[in-house]
Amino acid sequence: MVPRARVVLLGESPLVQEYAALCLGKGWDVHAHLNSDSADLGLPKGTKKVAKPTKAFTIAFELTNTNPEQKRKNIIDLDRLLGPKAIILSSSLTVTVAEQASWVSRSERLVGIDAFPTMLDGGLIELATSPATDEATLATAKDFVKSLGKESAVVQDSIGMVMPRVLCMLINEACFAMMEGVAAGKDIDTAMKLGTNYPSGPTEWGKRIGFTQVEAVLSALHHSFGEDRYRVAPLLRQMALRRKSNHKEHRVRKEKLK
Amino acid sequence: MIRTIGVIGSGTMGGGIAHVASAAGLDVVLHDVSSEALKVAMERIKSDLRRDVEKGRITTTQATEIMARIHPRKAFNDLGEAEFIVEAAVENLNVKREIFKKLDAIVAPEAVLATNTSSLSITAIASLTKTPESVVGMHFFNPPPVMKLVEIVRGAQTSGATIKTATALALALGKVPVICKDTPGFIVNRVARPFYGEALRLLGEGVASVEVIDKIVKTEGGFKMGPFELMDLIGIDINYAVTRSVYEQFFHEPRFRPHPIQQRMVEAGTLGRKTGKGFYTYNK
Repeated sequence: MVPRARVVLLGESPLVQEYAALCLGKGWDVHAHLNSDSADLGLPKGTKKVAKPTKAFTIAFELTNTNPEQKRKNIIDLDRLLGPKAIILSSSLTVTVAEQASWVSRSERLVGIDAFPTMLDGGLIELATSPATDEATLATAKDFVKSLGKESAVVQDSIGMVMPRVLCMLINEACFAMMEGVAAGKDIDTAMKLGTNYPSGPTEWGKRIGFTQVEAVLSALHHSFGEDRYRVAPLLRQMALRRKSNHKEHRVRKEKLK
Repeated sequence: MIRTIGVIGSGTMGGGIAHVASAAGLDVVLHDVSSEALKVAMERIKSDLRRDVEKGRITTTQATEIMARIHPRKAFNDLGEAEFIVEAAVENLNVKREIFKKLDAIVAPEAVLATNTSSLSITAIASLTKTPESVVGMHFFNPPPVMKLVEIVRGAQTSGATIKTATALALALGKVPVICKDTPGFIVNRVARPFYGEALRLLGEGVASVEVIDKIVKTEGGFKMGPFELMDLIGIDINYAVTRSVYEQFFHEPRFRPHPIQQRMVEAGTLGRKTGKGFYTYNK
């Protein structure tokens, strides 16, 4: 059983918001801190803002996919500031659990999850371990995921894990097809929903996830495998950059107003 | 507005297209070189209609009328009266080009010639006709009476008017047309490749088992079927052939590279549901 835990979430939008809402909905005491470069989408009502992780937390999430430096800093902070019994569930789509384990002193408490926007619409969370992860940590992680009303599936520690990798490759292919003028984005979406029964079209799904997130996973796959198969469609990269510059403008405007 | 359409080939696709067109109120000339195949197709349409009557979707009178509007014809020249032709013969470029060459001689010059190919180039099929601007791809999905999607494929020389007529016909048949350029796999058979390809790679790399990948894709991703269940349903050989065709037509683009796991299964004859064994085992 998971002891009645306080949960702390560090990371980026919209993952922090999605996980905070899920944990709050299941009655957990949720504290969060957004990365400074992340889009400020606010936090779900009931989430407490926290400047730093402390010994008071027993479950910690690190939810950063797009900024490896910040992710590393968050993981090191969590390892340094959390009590010895606390476990860390860290998104491991763009950096493997094994690599993250090499950053910390208590690597046995680290479990990978597939935190990716819109994935919590489903009923399952993927888990992965490094060779250092101990069994008790994995068992606690499984219990905690169950307490969130989700099933868990343990997969090997691999960039993109299962669902985000398949989904990002579908979105990438749709972007290549759009870029090459094969069809309009909305027609590609219609075709995939009616022709193969997909729950959502790849371009509309990409928009909901955010192309910055999709690009981060694809770039990490490309880097990890070194294969052209995973190169990012230039159109997808453009859309990701457009989003990033929108966030930046938004932040600059906000700062000017202060 | 089109009144009479000709359908060439009375297999599952041709028969299904004839059924859909007749149900929409068009007269259909259904041609096949084999009178046996025509008989089988008419029987199948009849039994599908009987089921529709039983389920209360149509009346007995409507079923009779739908049957009466389909005219099975062995003589190729009987297709001459059709204003719109949908070719659904075997998926072989030479056969299709031969058919289109023959069509030139019998149909009115303004007739639209559509092909239901799923993998061949519309441009190549059109190239032997005198009117390549009237040739268009019209890719229905199996089974045509159920599946709503039709890919309208624009060949290199297809005219805007031809696209318009084909799109209007698809709408008149109660379908949802999407327009795409004549490129390997069109939309669906291309964009769906990573669904199978990445699943096979994940399996090959040992990231997760067949069962776990299918479960994740369904439970977490919300897909109706997992990639391995779906490959078993489609047939491993068919799925592998489509992948190879897209891969080769894209001159070995690595995103479409087939996987040895699938090749071995084809070699072993474990082709999915139809053989009782694929990624899963089935009781026949």
